[in-house]
Amino acid sequence: MAKARAIVKRLKAVKNIRKITKTMELIATARFKKAMDRATEAAAYTKKISEIVADLSATNLTFTHPLLKAHETQTNGILLILTSNRGLCGGYNGAVLRPALARQKELKSSLNLSVECSGRRGLTFLKYQQINVTEQFTNFEDKPGFDEVEAIANRYIELYCSGKLDRLDIAYTKFESASRQRAVVETLLPIGSLGAATGSASTEKNIDYEFLPSAGEILEEIVPAAFKARLFKCFLDAAVSEQIARRVAMKAATENAGDMIKSLSMQYNRARQSQITSELSEIIGGAAALEA
Amino acid sequence: MVDKQLQLVIVTPERTVFDEPASALRFPLFDGQIGILPGRAPLVGRLGYGELKVTNASGSEKSFFIDGGFVQVKGPVVSILTARAIPTAEVKRSDAEEALKKATALPGTTEQQAATKAREIERARRLLTLAH
Repeated sequence: MAKARAIVKRLKAVKNIRKITKTMELIATARFKKAMDRATEAAAYTKKISEIVADLSATNLTFTHPLLKAHETQTNGILLILTSNRGLCGGYNGAVLRPALARQKELKSSLNLSVECSGRRGLTFLKYQQINVTEQFTNFEDKPGFDEVEAIANRYIELYCSGKLDRLDIAYTKFESASRQRAVVETLLPIGSLGAATGSASTEKNIDYEFLPSAGEILEEIVPAAFKARLFKCFLDAAVSEQIARRVAMKAATENAGDMIKSLSMQYNRARQSQITSELSEIIGGAAALEA
Repeated sequence: MVDKQLQLVIVTPERTVFDEPASALRFPLFDGQIGILPGRAPLVGRLGYGELKVTNASGSEKSFFIDGGFVQVKGPVVSILTARAIPTAEVKRSDAEEALKKATALPGTTEQQAATKAREIERARRLLTLAH
């Protein structure tokens, strides 16, 4: 008797959990769709920027900008790590933090490295590892706003241009497709190349643009804009990947709960059956004893 | 030329705000206003801060506040890349006043800081003229 009741209790708990994980899966799916839409809409801006860069490069301009130039002496570096604020998203945070930590160890030996981190999960991890975090952000949820990212980007640009920063690395989860996300560590500053500058320029036929004020001055403005767009894309990618990771994790949890319910109800039925059998045999035994 | 139309596309880093045909545009470049009509020669330009006015074929007007960026004119397509594009009706006086206050409070000791400050004040003033 006692065993059957204990199983019923557990069964109820598991059923509750399944309800919760199922709901979380649905929420993550909805959020993923929204984040995905935002990411595709944001792509239009990046595309236009690289188009203008391609137009500029067609004018035989030499690209010189403080953000494009690597500093001669590398003394100060920043490593920015993008993680999630919430857990229950499978291996998402672990996957980012592993390569990030490796890069941190590698850079720490040669540079005066400061680590910056977005997301509570990463912060607690770094605290546990006793890594000093100089700047932390917890305001990025599933919809990172451009204003917030721009503020961060402006700070990096200023630091880099004034020579207080020689290298900026960012660890985040890159969104490749709905079924493929990869945790990567990329170097954002100095900007290696301005994206699709060469590829698209050669295919398009040259249009003779009028540049106001001049190609050089436009370039001066467009490099920071391109950097901001790139950083913003990292944040968007991370947000999309987080939702995908959560959806996958919750889907697995729901399935596991389903399996568990199946095996538990089987156990319960067996326990109940054997209980009835033993009760029956007791009654029969009792009746037989009376007859005799 | 008369029957031609422009296609205006306003993109911000977050989304495409506007993608509609237009018959005339007026907006601020870095050094003053520019007007664009169908058949404009190709152009790449740096934008200033201020009001973008769009007139469509039926003569009705739409207006946005644009926050720096670039413009590219290529054939009939005019692309405006800006950090923010706010419909003028949504520009609030309180926000604009706050922006101006913040801008005037910026430090202006070095040359670079002074330039940033001047730019921010300019931006806030333009915002304020549109606010209501």
